[in-house]
Amino acid sequence: MDSFKVLEIKESVFADNDREAERLREALRRKKVFLLNLMASPGAGKTTLLTRTIETLGNEMRIGVMEADIDSDVDAKTISKTGAKVIQLHTGGMCHLDAEMTKQGLEGLGTDDMDLVILENVGNLVCPAEFDTGASRNAMILSVPEGDDKPLKYPLMFSVSDVLIINKIDAAGIFDFDFEACAQRARKINPDIRIIPVSAKTGEGIGEWADWLRASVRQWRGE
Amino acid sequence: MHELGIMFHVVKKVEAIVRENGLAEVEAIVLQIGELSPVVPQYIVACYPAAVDGTILQNTRLEIETLPANARCGRCGKVYNLIERRKICPSCGSEEFELLCGREFNIKEIRAC
Repeated sequence: MDSFKVLEIKESVFADNDREAERLREALRRKKVFLLNLMASPGAGKTTLLTRTIETLGNEMRIGVMEADIDSDVDAKTISKTGAKVIQLHTGGMCHLDAEMTKQGLEGLGTDDMDLVILENVGNLVCPAEFDTGASRNAMILSVPEGDDKPLKYPLMFSVSDVLIINKIDAAGIFDFDFEACAQRARKINPDIRIIPVSAKTGEGIGEWADWLRASVRQWRGE
Repeated sequence: MHELGIMFHVVKKVEAIVRENGLAEVEAIVLQIGELSPVVPQYIVACYPAAVDGTILQNTRLEIETLPANARCGRCGKVYNLIERRKICPSCGSEEFELLCGREFNIKEIRAC
């Protein structure tokens, strides 16, 4: 097959997504919309934390929510009870969201009258860490029952997150979760990570989380 | 499982390259997958026929090159394979390292006419 020639491409398959994510982030900055990408494993308490967050900040900023799931709309139904504007995204079997899907979700939600949009990513500690969604900041939840060894097992997730929320601290008494060991492991991977222990169920620690989020939104909007 | 969705991206990208370069026929595409990459080569191979079905790549061969997960020891500077050595330097025993390669997922080249 002498007639065949070789075209050298040498480009990362993820480069397109990274470029799209950067464009989306810039567009959001211009529109003064803060996009939070919330990641965690299934059952860590993403939806419960979101409900608490909307209760706490809902009267001082306009909040929209994008619920990403492989299927179902149970989370969107829960969030809609808070009164926040919510849209359900179905990934159709995909285990993560990419920048293009996030952009389509934002268009569906409508961001003209939003200060803060929270993207509840697919429950998974692996794949969502690999794909930049274009979010202003990344947050992750690790819940006490999951164990303090998770930074060792899923280092990439901890390295891309700006804030680590340790949820279900109300259940700490029945699990042997070592907060100090967990923090050390997380900071070894990501020295700048902010760690906030909360109980989305009882409300403990939610004030500190809301403070972080409020300050981040204001900074993003140049206030 | 995200390999099929990712392969749709690859197909779109290759189709664009084929159009830009006015290529008539693609014989093979070559991907480079790092040992620490989030994609699994076996799944890429398995979903390839579905991803290219009905596209100009339908009869194209897929080749995959694996790139090693190599790191340089943070203490003594030795270069070693992270997976084989379980992230422990074979020379000095340190667990500190700087990753050199292994996270790639690249379209390396296209053979076409």
